[in-house]
Amino acid sequence: MKQIVRNFLFVTFFLLVLGNIVLVVKSTQMGVDAVRIEQEIQDLKNENQKLVVEVSHMESLQYAASISASLGFTKTPKPMYFDNLKYARSN
Amino acid sequence: MTKIRFLFVLFLLFFVVIILRLGYIQILHPIAPSDYLMTRKIMAKRGSIFDRKMLPLVTNQMKYLMFAEPKLVQDQSLFTFKLSQILQMEEASITARLDKTKTWVAIRNGVDRTKKDAIDALHLPGVGFDEQPALYYPEGSSAAHILGFVGKNNDGENVGYFGIEGFYDKDLSGLPGLMRSDRDLIGRPIFLGTQEKIEPENGRDLVLTIDKTVQDIVKRKLKEGLEQYGSSQGCAIVANPNTGEILALSCLPDFDPDTYYDFPPESYKNSAISDTYEPGSTFKPLVMAAAIQEKVLKADSVMNESGPVTIDKYTIQTWNNQYEGNITMTRVLEKSSNVGMVYVGEKLGRQKLYEYIRKFGFGDLTGVDLDGEVPSYLRPMRNWYGIDFSTATFGQGIAVTPVQMIAGFSAVINGGHLMRPYVVKQMISDRKTQDIQPKEIRRILSDDTSSIMRKMLVSTIENGETKWLRPKGYQIGGKTGTAQIALQGHYDASKTIASFIGFAPVTHPEFVGLVIVREPKTSQWGSETAAPIFFQIAKELIVYYNITPEHTP
Repeated sequence: MKQIVRNFLFVTFFLLVLGNIVLVVKSTQMGVDAVRIEQEIQDLKNENQKLVVEVSHMESLQYAASISASLGFTKTPKPMYFDNLKYARSN
Repeated sequence: MTKIRFLFVLFLLFFVVIILRLGYIQILHPIAPSDYLMTRKIMAKRGSIFDRKMLPLVTNQMKYLMFAEPKLVQDQSLFTFKLSQILQMEEASITARLDKTKTWVAIRNGVDRTKKDAIDALHLPGVGFDEQPALYYPEGSSAAHILGFVGKNNDGENVGYFGIEGFYDKDLSGLPGLMRSDRDLIGRPIFLGTQEKIEPENGRDLVLTIDKTVQDIVKRKLKEGLEQYGSSQGCAIVANPNTGEILALSCLPDFDPDTYYDFPPESYKNSAISDTYEPGSTFKPLVMAAAIQEKVLKADSVMNESGPVTIDKYTIQTWNNQYEGNITMTRVLEKSSNVGMVYVGEKLGRQKLYEYIRKFGFGDLTGVDLDGEVPSYLRPMRNWYGIDFSTATFGQGIAVTPVQMIAGFSAVINGGHLMRPYVVKQMISDRKTQDIQPKEIRRILSDDTSSIMRKMLVSTIENGETKWLRPKGYQIGGKTGTAQIALQGHYDASKTIASFIGFAPVTHPEFVGLVIVREPKTSQWGSETAAPIFFQIAKELIVYYNITPEHTP
């Protein structure tokens, strides 16, 4: 009987130590995961924000104006020259 | 048995050591909770601002504070050389910052993501980045005075100043969250300890009544106009007269909200709501509308414009000192006759004149949702002299803000409804979307009076000084104004505020526009400075809004 109790206590003690070690390892691992996931979320948010900024830039009138200017899609000056004053001359 | 006892004693000692250590940590030299309990404020995301078509005017971006740990820097010359190329900084500037006696030094603020990625790719030891939330303005300074800017208060917190950022600062900034978390030595969360997180309430996104295409047109045309007419200051507002929605507002000179600190503080002030001016002849339609509403005059009522009129010791003339004898009220507006308006004022009566000026909202705030609005200056009636009642009929001797002027004039043409001008039409939060409806302050005129006034104002354009500016096939109503600037109690004839207020189309006005040019050099008259700018804007808006011609001459 005494031997049984001793063995039971030994196994219980062993299981508690093992459980404690597993708990510490698991919680550490979860901590690492939490930090990694927090970082990933932040990176995704930053990436998303960067894309929003890029889209806003592409949609802006300022960008459209700069592109149209570089492609020559702007009004060209049409000066009127007064070197052929035929009406004035005829009068 | 000896071995078991030995093991037992060993464990006992082990636990005694732990208990003693805990006693030392918790009783003799207690550790402050802050050493392991990390409390962090989670900043709320500032709300974005969109134009009426949901195109962004202000959005968030992440910038970075680049720092260095000088003691970890190995090859300083290579370090400074590479950084100087990416950051476009002088090598000497970087070297000067790398103080070897310090463990942390800031190198540069506001580094963008592209540069950060380029620096990260170099894998330089001793370089790091701290995040700095910032705002991004896709349209630059296009709507600077509407938007305002975000600066820092005395506690180093972001605060909105002027415009929308100032007026809606609390809505835009949201509420910060809080995180309380027990952390181990290297910052990992301890799950058996405290883990609390209160999520932040992000700032609300605002949808404006502003149309950024209209805003771009208005600012571009105003800028060109001011350059052409030799003026250094001017304002232009375009609004929907039926609802009070402001579609565009630009005052020059302005500033860049992104680098507001590089501009003089005077440029932050939005003249459209914070400065008063004498409206001059643009005020005449309001007084004429009051007289027609009170049925003391009709559009075709005739008065005798025989010459200057004398009020007390003052003589009032027409702008060109020419007189046409018997003229109708429509002609009074067409030729912008001050003498005719004095007659209108007399028919209306002093009490009614003052009442209508108050009814049109002068002397009060319009309630526009922009930071920095001032009320117009309107003396109590008991302080008015006889001449004041005469000069007020042609817009001299009273001071109004441009936004009040456009609100009052809108009431003349929209059926008589004085609408509160506004800029934000929708607020979007994580939980709900709130629409902001147009608000009528009061009804001033009847539909009939308003309809008569629209016809008279069309006639004013077609038979007045500005008839050549009108786009062919279109009816546009409006009125020019030229007010001398009062300096030390006297009017300086050489310095004027030229203005024009107009609308289109005539039957159902879609937009009303006000252009003000301060002290133009090429001409002092509104018809030769502000009116051409208005018509340039109107021509583009007619195309933009697909407005069909109403009339072919």
